[in-house]
Amino acid sequence: MSLSLKAVRMAAGLSLGLILCGSVFAASNEAARLATLQTRLKAITDGTTYVESITKIQRLGRAFGYYTDKGYFGEAADLFADNATFQWGMDGIYKGKARIRELLTRHGGGSMKEGPGLPFGRLNLRMQLQPVVTVAANGRSAHARWREWGLLGQYKKEATWGDAIIEDDYINDGGTWKIAARRYYLNFEAPYQGGWASLKAVPEFKSVVAKDFPPDAPVPQAYAPFPAVFVPPYHYADGNLRSIQSRPPVDFPKRPDDALGKLEALADAKELALGRAESVRAIENLQAMYGYYTDKGQWQQAAALFSGNGSWEFGQSGVYIGNARIERALGLAGPQGLEQGQLNNYVLVQPIIHVAADNRTAKARWRNDVLLSQAGKGRWGGGVYENEYVNDNGTWKIASLHYYVTFWGDYDAGWAGKSFPMDPPSKEFPPDKPPTVVYESFPKLQVVPYHYNNPVTNKPWAGE
Amino acid sequence: MKKTNAMLALLASFAAPAAFAAGADLAALEKQLNAVGQRITRLQDLTDVEIVQNAYGYYVDKGQWRSISDLFADDSTLEIGGKGVFLGKQRVFEYMNIGMGGGGPIGPKNGSLIDHQQFQCLPTIMEDGVTAKARCIAFVMSSGGWGHNYYEDVFTKEDGVWKFRKLVGPFNMYSGYRQGWVDSVIVNTYPEKFAPYPDLPPSRIYLTYPSYHVEPFHYPNPVTGKPMPPPSPRAGGEAFGR
Repeated sequence: MSLSLKAVRMAAGLSLGLILCGSVFAASNEAARLATLQTRLKAITDGTTYVESITKIQRLGRAFGYYTDKGYFGEAADLFADNATFQWGMDGIYKGKARIRELLTRHGGGSMKEGPGLPFGRLNLRMQLQPVVTVAANGRSAHARWREWGLLGQYKKEATWGDAIIEDDYINDGGTWKIAARRYYLNFEAPYQGGWASLKAVPEFKSVVAKDFPPDAPVPQAYAPFPAVFVPPYHYADGNLRSIQSRPPVDFPKRPDDALGKLEALADAKELALGRAESVRAIENLQAMYGYYTDKGQWQQAAALFSGNGSWEFGQSGVYIGNARIERALGLAGPQGLEQGQLNNYVLVQPIIHVAADNRTAKARWRNDVLLSQAGKGRWGGGVYENEYVNDNGTWKIASLHYYVTFWGDYDAGWAGKSFPMDPPSKEFPPDKPPTVVYESFPKLQVVPYHYNNPVTNKPWAGE
Repeated sequence: MKKTNAMLALLASFAAPAAFAAGADLAALEKQLNAVGQRITRLQDLTDVEIVQNAYGYYVDKGQWRSISDLFADDSTLEIGGKGVFLGKQRVFEYMNIGMGGGGPIGPKNGSLIDHQQFQCLPTIMEDGVTAKARCIAFVMSSGGWGHNYYEDVFTKEDGVWKFRKLVGPFNMYSGYRQGWVDSVIVNTYPEKFAPYPDLPPSRIYLTYPSYHVEPFHYPNPVTGKPMPPPSPRAGGEAFGR
């Protein structure tokens, strides 16, 4: 049926209905329902713009990484507002696009006089991972936290690991999001040989670049990088939960079988679809926040992200239930806030998030890369999460977290050279339940069960 | 009767203008709801495309070659590294099973780690709503060491389901573990390096680290809207920047 014909029929139906009903009250009721629909349309439109803003900011951050990887430093600088600032580690603050371009070019080994590119043998891979994006209620500004994992170096000369946390401010410039201020909290640049565990505290944490290319302003607050434990300030530390919120679950009433009722049902469907799209971003933010807290041994903050009866299971640890017990179980890895020289990086990547049709629960698979250091020994870890989440009246919480260990490996020998088995359940603080799945980590391999069917065939995993 | 008619006429004179306005409003509303609904669909599309890409990575981890070829459309292509182009689902399966898995049984092999981690996915839904592109990274941690590759993939939406239309995975840097990328780098693959041999020759010839290659970005600069400029012809040489 064409829209115009539909409209004519609706109008006719309404007129007839009103006449037969013989009441002015009906007309005012219809007007009220129409007004409600208009309000809902506005809310759905604003909500859509909000989720679009999150995806645009994710895109900005990822585009930045792809540009710097390949020496496109002018294009990377173009992602910043004209008067943007860039704080590089403890070096200081650089102001304006032109200075940011030169800063990135110098750090990445590019050239200000050539076009984009890098010289022979230069490696400048700066992977931009694990975003927590928070868009302000007015839609005009936003913040994000990112993790940068760097593979840097020069062929035959050096290979270096980079580890940094980025806290960004963004502005919405007439519909185009731009980076307004970047605080790049470099945690270490560690030689490949020996890795991060071999790093010693340095009296002055300044880059070589800053000597020839001094910043425009000093850093507002000094910090000591790894092996000290420094927590770059969170933009979401003030109890602002916006980044993990979505629409509360709604039971829409059965709509009347009239023209307005059809539109009300249509609005219900769009509102639910929007809620589910918003939930995907909220869950990305939630799981990333969990990772950033555990990075720094903030067990209390990490445990607070679980629902009251939430559960936590790590490898063969067994299952711990409830916030207080999860906090203590997390704390088996070290004191609250970690200790000097401890690295506890849990890099969260590769999400596969499915929000339930009613927007009340969700499941997600994630990958975790683990970079550890304790007592001067470096270690690699890798594994997969299969987690569940609950929409608690509009705030997403972790309902169950289950980390399946793929491998633990020694840094110097590599995972293939020297792997470690998983720890058995703690004797010091035993779990509430034994492990739900018993398996061995690398060199044994097993398929972690998928919470989803094949995304194309929709067939369940058949044991391949 | 007359009285009733008069009453109805009176009522109609109240109700009709309001109802008429409502009819026009309803049509506009329906249109607006569907327009915003399409934007919401695009948001879900972004997630769905990323799911196909990320699911691919988890299947590679465990040598689940059939699950991988099932992610591809019937008329799809696959081109990884310098091996050339493979046409259709069955050849995708053969590239994986024979090329990557050595033709052995499907599934994980104890002692052989081939984690193909999918990082930093940047998907774009094209104007037609049924084509998508995505740039992503595979960061490989394997028994042999490291791998860093890009993807510039094309997806197609068939009957509401997103699938791979083209998987293009140019290699960037491969190295062994002990030395890392300072020395023990492994050059790009080529058609005859291992079986199976490609249906079509490589669509691009390029060198991997320590040389320089940039796989074109499918998207313009998100802020300026400008397409990417080509790299300097001197990029990848020692004279670059001199």
